[in-house]
Amino acid sequence: MTSRVFLCHSLAAAKRPLVPFQLVSRSTSNSAYVPGGPIYKGTVNDATTFPPAKKSVGSHHWTFERLLSAGLVPLTAAAFVTSGSATPLLDGLLGISLIVHSHIGFDTILVDYVHKRKFPTIGPVLTWTLRVTSLAVGVGVYQFNTNDIGLTELIRRVWTA
Amino acid sequence: MLSIVTRSSARRLQSPIIPLRSFSSSVAALQAVPTETRPLNKEFKIYRWNPDEPQKKPELQSYTINLNECGPMILDALIKIKNEVDPTLTFRRSCREGICGSCAMNINGQNTLACLSRIDRNENKDTKIYPLPHMYVVKDLVPDLTLFYKQYKSIEPYLQTDNPPAQGEFLQSPEDRKKLDGLYECILCACCSTSCPSYWWNQDEYLGPATLMQAYRWIADSRDTYKAHRKEKLQNEMSLYRCHTIFNCARTCPKGLNPAAAIAQIKLHLAAD
Repeated sequence: MTSRVFLCHSLAAAKRPLVPFQLVSRSTSNSAYVPGGPIYKGTVNDATTFPPAKKSVGSHHWTFERLLSAGLVPLTAAAFVTSGSATPLLDGLLGISLIVHSHIGFDTILVDYVHKRKFPTIGPVLTWTLRVTSLAVGVGVYQFNTNDIGLTELIRRVWTA
Repeated sequence: MLSIVTRSSARRLQSPIIPLRSFSSSVAALQAVPTETRPLNKEFKIYRWNPDEPQKKPELQSYTINLNECGPMILDALIKIKNEVDPTLTFRRSCREGICGSCAMNINGQNTLACLSRIDRNENKDTKIYPLPHMYVVKDLVPDLTLFYKQYKSIEPYLQTDNPPAQGEFLQSPEDRKKLDGLYECILCACCSTSCPSYWWNQDEYLGPATLMQAYRWIADSRDTYKAHRKEKLQNEMSLYRCHTIFNCARTCPKGLNPAAAIAQIKLHLAAD
């Protein structure tokens, strides 16, 4: 379709050299597709297409995110009523949940605003920066929980300081 | 023969002398002046952009019209401006009663139908009219809805079934029919989709509330047997899950529908799979 329209234009230009150059150059048919741009994939009568189905970024991702968010409510409440050093398992679980929760939240922001289809360089760079950061924070929280006072106790001390 | 023609034309010339209205109207009635109402001048600031002058930036053009000589709705004002003030003003309109969805535009910051939106009769405040936000503009208040329609087409908005009835109507229980209420009334005016920030940033991949509500309209239909196929299409990061329950769609819908609830239903259906 694209090449046909372009051909029509060039034929018209060949027959009638008086066709203003602007008319040919303003034609959108030979312009490249840019995500979110005014050029469409296919003709106006073609339906848009879907990305390949993948539950890990679809319903499974959504369900996990919702369950985690709901689970954080009783987990946070439990951390309030217990002591961090007495229940290290709960403390660790809270640490992991908070990191995964915030990782998903930041990742959603990146998918929304710097998706790799629009930002082929900075998109993946930021996604990997986030992954490395989340992992580093995870290691840090593990070290802090095993070798030091732990998350819950820290918040308690800052609170009462 | 000639004499007859002359005679008849002579008779016609005499006729104005006959006093026809002598009993029906008095001198006083002819001189009466209608009571004058104070003109209610209201300023409308309307987005203008002409594709024939691509170098010229879009601008707000101001029009002041007398509301006493105008219908009550924004669309009446637009038609009055186009008829009497500026015939180059361009906008879509058709049914003038909120069933075609043509006159969707952004009026005072709210996406709505011009034909269902009353003119604020406060003279001191202007009314600003823009095209639907974050769409490519064809001219003035006319947005390019091509992608919106291409997306609507992608969800296959028609009944698909492998076992249609052998003959007669395809019957549905009243309960099953009730599930389609609040879904089938959508007129695809695109007010909701163009009010959605997710649709603004990712409209090339995210379907938007209007299309998703229609996707659910066919998932919810008891007669449709292609539900798995329909749901499979939405199982990706972009098409459905860019909805972050912002609820602009439900707030702006000029038909009072709730696309956000339909999207939530799709998410539940997909999670239950």
